[in-house]
Amino acid sequence: MSRAMAKRVHRALDDENLQTALTRLLGLIKFVRQIAFADLDFDYLSREIRRIKEDSIANLPELVEQFKSEATKAGAIVYEAEDDDDARKYISTVAKEYGVKNIVKSKSMLGEEIGLREHLEKAGIRVTETDIGEWIVQLAGERPAHLVGPAVHKTMEQVTELISKATGQQLGTEPQAVLDAVRAALRQAYITADMGISGANIAIAETGTLVIVTNEGNGCMSTTMPPVHLAVVGYEKIVPAWKDAAAIFRLLSRCTAGMKMPVYVSHITGPSRTDAIPGPVLRGAGGPGEVHIVLVDNGRWQMRGTDEFREALYCIKCGACLNVCPVFASVAGQTYGYIYQGGIGAILTAFLHDVTQAEDVASLCLGCMACKAACPARIDIPRMVTQLKASLAEEKGLPFFKRIAYRRILRKPSTMDGLIKFGTYLQKPFIDNDLTIRGIPVFLNAITKTISLPPLARVPLPARLKDYSSPKPTGKPKVALYSGCIGSYLYPEVGEHVVKILSESGTEPYYPTGQACCGAPAYFAGDFEAALSLAKINIAALEEMKPDYIVTVCPGCAGVLKREYLNLTTSDPRWNQRARGVANRIRDFSQLLLELNSSRRTKPTRNLKVTYHDPCHLKRGTGIFTEPRTLLQQEGFELVEMADSDTCCGFGGHVVLSYPELSQSILKRKLDNIEATGVQIVVTNCLPCVLQIRGGLDKRRSQIKVMHTAELLATGFTRSM
Amino acid sequence: MGTQVSELIVQFKDEAAKAGAVLHEVTRVEDIRDCVLKLAQERSVKSAVKSNSKLADEIDLREHLENAGVEVKEADFKQWLAQLAGNKKTERESIEQVAKLISVASGQDLDPDPQVLLSAANRSIKQYCIDADMGISEAGAAIAETGTLVILGNEGVSRLVAVLPRIHITLLKAQDIVPLMEDVFIKFKIRAGNETGQVVPSYVTYIAGRNTTADIPGAVLSRAQGPAEEHVVIVNKSAVGDVS
Repeated sequence: MSRAMAKRVHRALDDENLQTALTRLLGLIKFVRQIAFADLDFDYLSREIRRIKEDSIANLPELVEQFKSEATKAGAIVYEAEDDDDARKYISTVAKEYGVKNIVKSKSMLGEEIGLREHLEKAGIRVTETDIGEWIVQLAGERPAHLVGPAVHKTMEQVTELISKATGQQLGTEPQAVLDAVRAALRQAYITADMGISGANIAIAETGTLVIVTNEGNGCMSTTMPPVHLAVVGYEKIVPAWKDAAAIFRLLSRCTAGMKMPVYVSHITGPSRTDAIPGPVLRGAGGPGEVHIVLVDNGRWQMRGTDEFREALYCIKCGACLNVCPVFASVAGQTYGYIYQGGIGAILTAFLHDVTQAEDVASLCLGCMACKAACPARIDIPRMVTQLKASLAEEKGLPFFKRIAYRRILRKPSTMDGLIKFGTYLQKPFIDNDLTIRGIPVFLNAITKTISLPPLARVPLPARLKDYSSPKPTGKPKVALYSGCIGSYLYPEVGEHVVKILSESGTEPYYPTGQACCGAPAYFAGDFEAALSLAKINIAALEEMKPDYIVTVCPGCAGVLKREYLNLTTSDPRWNQRARGVANRIRDFSQLLLELNSSRRTKPTRNLKVTYHDPCHLKRGTGIFTEPRTLLQQEGFELVEMADSDTCCGFGGHVVLSYPELSQSILKRKLDNIEATGVQIVVTNCLPCVLQIRGGLDKRRSQIKVMHTAELLATGFTRSM
Repeated sequence: MGTQVSELIVQFKDEAAKAGAVLHEVTRVEDIRDCVLKLAQERSVKSAVKSNSKLADEIDLREHLENAGVEVKEADFKQWLAQLAGNKKTERESIEQVAKLISVASGQDLDPDPQVLLSAANRSIKQYCIDADMGISEAGAAIAETGTLVILGNEGVSRLVAVLPRIHITLLKAQDIVPLMEDVFIKFKIRAGNETGQVVPSYVTYIAGRNTTADIPGAVLSRAQGPAEEHVVIVNKSAVGDVS
């Protein structure tokens, strides 16, 4: 994380205009999205898009040849540019050849990627962005804040001022009057332009066709009014056939703006033509006589060559991932510092722009997986972000402190215990009477401004469960408890509750000694070596007593134990086999309880309302979200759903440490949603979520209690039955 | 008309209306005339441009509007030449005759050079599109799934007529409504040129309802850069009457 990034995050969070406008925009998109997806099988259609993109990228060399040949046959001129510099130079040469003075441009991310507008402006050409939002941003000399609302951060007063200045009139702040002035000005720009520049949402190989989508109508006008049309197209936009384009359209606008279809979709095949005038067919009839297509590589072929990052090329630039990203909802587009934003932006930035900037973008990722679930091309963005961080860590080496932490301390439970003990002395002066830390002067002080912290337990879980180090030979199912760091040192009572409930539920719970940190901090920072060594320690500790199940209280740890250990051990078949044995036995607490008591009778209503928060790694990581709810209802609780129950609480990734204010802004929305339910208890199945939400509610002086399901079931509320 | 077709019409109307289009339904092709004229008169339309439409030509829509005082310019190049020549149908003229027609229309003395004539025609026709209050198109197909109109053409005017004037009217035959986007390609046999010898039109333009923008703070405003009104006149022989 760079200082510049931290500064931009602050600026965005402090910008009240932006915050209000962004909330409104994203709320609107979410609302219309629900309607647009109501009659649709997202799963089926996204599989279809995935298949089309996989095939297209796999067969790209052939498709490029076909596209070039068909487009040329239709009368277009195709140029292949190696990189941004090549593309810029070629385009300015073309512009010069036609003596171009005025250009109208419709939205193109690739255009921004290669700095096209700035380059042409430097060459003395006047370039007008024709999307209204883009034009406002251009007039302000800024970058777009959002794909759908590029100028969403601007107030009416600011927009009025910009448009007044640009059109030389004194406009009032009446939106309709401003829009009329904008339309008139842009109309004039189309009329005087001698070249129109566009991108392409899709390029169709079978006919050499460009497909361009707009809602305002600017795409149609900027590609039809001027005598020359030039399109910049990334290679990844090519698909084989018209029907593939249709499949993509079925989701594209729904994902972008919650619309079934864009208002205007243009399929352009070569220049306009007419046979009205005697003689041969003439080009340039009420439309451009020349169509230039510039195919741009700029790192795309290199990306295609990697196994880890190829799928980033499946991106159809719909922005669905940004619409659901909790970080984006807090900071918006300009904060990322480059045109490609969010998790996918980190990957694209790394290959198409600059690795250092990519690291900055990646540092904003919570790892909450909301993007992955929303992606119409089913791109595993969180996996790539982790991989990117790993590659960068490998290249540069981890910072010294992290290296020490991951490789020495976390690896050895005894060292960890010793350190924790030391910590319990240090923290003493800061613990309030109710065992909560509300402020630490130095270390972690930024965090305690946001959330109150639990103190390190004086007696950690391993010591508390000394008597449970092995299962008694009772013949009941053996359940190993894996507690994770937070479960061991911050909330040891939850582990005790788990053991209590499991004993009551006819199992033989025990706490395997020798278990260590799951390795998530190392793994997600890209230190695979340290993560592997922790994996081996835990696999050995967990398999030792041959448990029937391994129960976890932290879905983050569970995910690492279940999936990443398999990834980490792929090159070692024996360890991989053992990792599989562990993975198969992993259960979430609620999941296990339901599995054990599948025929359990529903308990009488307790007249107690609770709301449930879905931990990211439990819902999207493991697909568990009905089980905790079913269990709560079986236990007789009345479940009141909060809005966005599956949106991250803000604890994910390193965001909580690197950008505490950002984490707080995400947490704020969660707490607001919780308070809006009016219930007094929030239940969740993840201890880091408990830490974050409990800490946040405490800062609000809220009376609402936050509990792990095990805690709720084990305390007086419920065991009366 | 089969149930399936009437279901498609209902779905199309429903989706197009949701996207902001205004639907009109007539039972006889002749009824298009009064429907369009009424729309024009209610909106004080003085001038209109019209792109290629067999439906409109069948019922002399241009003449009908002109008789009622609305100036109508043909934007399709061939149709325009016919209009200039005072012909009902497009006829093969010689280059000299074409030069004469365009010279008169543009007020210049033009050589019978195809490029010169094309440039002059372009200037005139584009200006008509810029100045017109109303654009009249015919959809080659419409998609029930999304309420989308499909307008095909090799000339850019097929698009300019649809986006530049403040009112756009699209004529549509009910039987041209297809269920899905993919059916459009089947209908027009759009596939690789070398397989069928079929040439893909330069422009296939899909229009779903009325254009809007949310880029001006505070409101979602209709009429971003295209027309303020998007009308569809469906000729549906089984319909009861104008439902608008």
